[in-house]
Amino acid sequence: MPYPSGTVRALLDTDHVTPATREALQVRLAEQPEPPQFFTADEAELLRQIVARLLPQPTDRAQIDVVGPVDQRLAHNESDGWRYDALPADPYAWRMGMNAFQEAAQAQFGHPFAQLDGAEQDELIGQVQQGTAVGVSLNPLQSKRFFDDMLSELTGIYFSHPLAQEDIGYVGMADKPRWDRVGLNELEEREPKAL
Amino acid sequence: MKTYSTNETVDAVVIGTGAGGAPLLARLAMAGLRVVALEAGAEKDPKRDYATDERAQEFLFWNDERLSAGENPLAFGSNNSGTGVGGSTLHYTAYTPRAQPDDMLMRTEFGVAADWPVDYHQDIEPYYDELEYFLGISGPNDYPWGPKRKRNYPLPPLPLNGAAQLMQWGCAELGIKTSPAANAALSGRYYQEGVGWREACTNRGFCQAGCSVGAKASMDVTFIPLARAHGAEVRPDAFVTTFDRDSQGRITAVVYVQNGQTHRQKCNTVFLCAGAVETPRLLLINELANSSGQVGRNIMAHPGLQIWGEFDEDVRPYKGIPGGLISEDTHRPFAGKPADFAGGYLLQSIGVMPVTYAKQVARGRGLWGQSLIDAMSRYNHVAGINILGDGLPYDHNYLELSDELDARGLPKPRVFHTDGENEKKMNAHADKIMRDVWAAAGAKNVWAFPRAAHTIGTCRMGDSPEENVVNANGQSFDIPNLYISDNSTFPSSLSVNPALTIMALALRTADKFLS
Repeated sequence: MPYPSGTVRALLDTDHVTPATREALQVRLAEQPEPPQFFTADEAELLRQIVARLLPQPTDRAQIDVVGPVDQRLAHNESDGWRYDALPADPYAWRMGMNAFQEAAQAQFGHPFAQLDGAEQDELIGQVQQGTAVGVSLNPLQSKRFFDDMLSELTGIYFSHPLAQEDIGYVGMADKPRWDRVGLNELEEREPKAL
Repeated sequence: MKTYSTNETVDAVVIGTGAGGAPLLARLAMAGLRVVALEAGAEKDPKRDYATDERAQEFLFWNDERLSAGENPLAFGSNNSGTGVGGSTLHYTAYTPRAQPDDMLMRTEFGVAADWPVDYHQDIEPYYDELEYFLGISGPNDYPWGPKRKRNYPLPPLPLNGAAQLMQWGCAELGIKTSPAANAALSGRYYQEGVGWREACTNRGFCQAGCSVGAKASMDVTFIPLARAHGAEVRPDAFVTTFDRDSQGRITAVVYVQNGQTHRQKCNTVFLCAGAVETPRLLLINELANSSGQVGRNIMAHPGLQIWGEFDEDVRPYKGIPGGLISEDTHRPFAGKPADFAGGYLLQSIGVMPVTYAKQVARGRGLWGQSLIDAMSRYNHVAGINILGDGLPYDHNYLELSDELDARGLPKPRVFHTDGENEKKMNAHADKIMRDVWAAAGAKNVWAFPRAAHTIGTCRMGDSPEENVVNANGQSFDIPNLYISDNSTFPSSLSVNPALTIMALALRTADKFLS
């Protein structure tokens, strides 16, 4: 159910969007990947490869940087208000989590994660999700909990991006006019129709 | 705006400006008392500062880390905690059903939890009526459940969005009665005492990430301005760490940190209104008011199972008041028959913001890769129903201080939460009903997101000092000039959203104190 591209970006140039909303989304659109501050270069590269499997992006538009916001959060030791007690503090959990992927790749395929093909990478991702990956970095419960947290955070970052919001036809950021047509199958002019 | 010196002994300090603190603050100020509110979070101007963007709004949540333990660890942060002048009401969904009288008699009816030490008709109902008119609640005439009301809601219900219409159809097929819900968001322009005109809801659908219109009755646009108009001072960014006490143990000053500086506000009385996690945490850190050993015990959360479905119709779940429709037919689902579980629940249609939904799809369904992208490509066709039901207190569920310190150097709280048999049976019962409703409405790809909403308990009120932290007026049994006014005092969790009842108790506590 693809939607036309460019919808959110076009709305940002209209008076349908409040200044605070426009500012937040334009800053996000302009963000460019930067060298990691928290992750090592190897960890950041590994996470990019994992993200490519978790959140495959359309190739005909700019790519959303999902790793950067995680790196920034961890570098500033910011929290989202809670964590599973089974896991250590986020910076440690993420380090251990990245180790877990690398460890399992070596144990199972004898190669680093980056050198595996997509199917092999997916197999390992599934194992970390299920808590069955080979390795000592995370115990099975920690592995499941870490994967839950990681996937949730990455997914939240991805779908916060105006380009991903264009993909799913979301235009709720057009917050200045009232929404009068709110019932089933009722669309305002500013809402895109599925192609 | 009136201000007070920290050396001036004010009549009362109110800690926290959410649903427990703000109404009380206004009441005390209107009685002519000199009152200061200390709020841990910032003060913003929603019209200027709030973006319609979930990530940009994360400042609304209590983001200091809490440790979640047990078999069903509670999610905090955006799920159920808030900070800023207005507290969690800045991001509550504005769903404001009244509790029913039997919600407060769970011990009498089922032998579980504890009865409330108040009389519903005398102590609670008049405040519901007052609050509905002060806040400008939008709701139906002749609400079908609960005791007959003194008068109808002051404003008609907000328009039903797609999810509400779908639930209405599905329930009608199954013979389940529904009604437009009561919501603390204005369906029309409303003049509010002490505040002025508030503008109507624009159906922006963003209640859970902050209302930028002023239509939602969060405390920052209702009781806080009223309190200020009557001389209350509100200090934002003021994090309370401890208290000064005299030789009798009475509190003489509240100690707080603001912009890195420690201050002491002298006062005669303290009202602690920091919510069911920070209130017990502050007491435990300072080893206060806990001769009963009950501070941190009896934590409860509402079973809040959600059932999501995809529909052929264009739903656009980001529009309209998220909880448009309600049914309380399941308030006592076994009427006349032996009950399979204690208490009951309400059914609520739910709209959803995209990032919240995406994270739930990831966490709840475990989807990733193309299947996650595909599921999200149908976001505009998604609608949900959820329940809100009684969660019971258990010995195995409690809050304690961990050994881990946060950035302020204070111990992080650890909260144990494991569903009991009652929650499991209730969720199973609700799972079937909601799936039936969605099937009748034509849903595809139906899936369940188990969750618990709101944190309740931890400083229970009751008549006996051995088993409770505060009395029915919210007053500490140990420290007579300390009161608690928030959801931590609830003896049972209620089968409705807590905000309206927190406010009702807050007004009652203020009135009892003043008399």
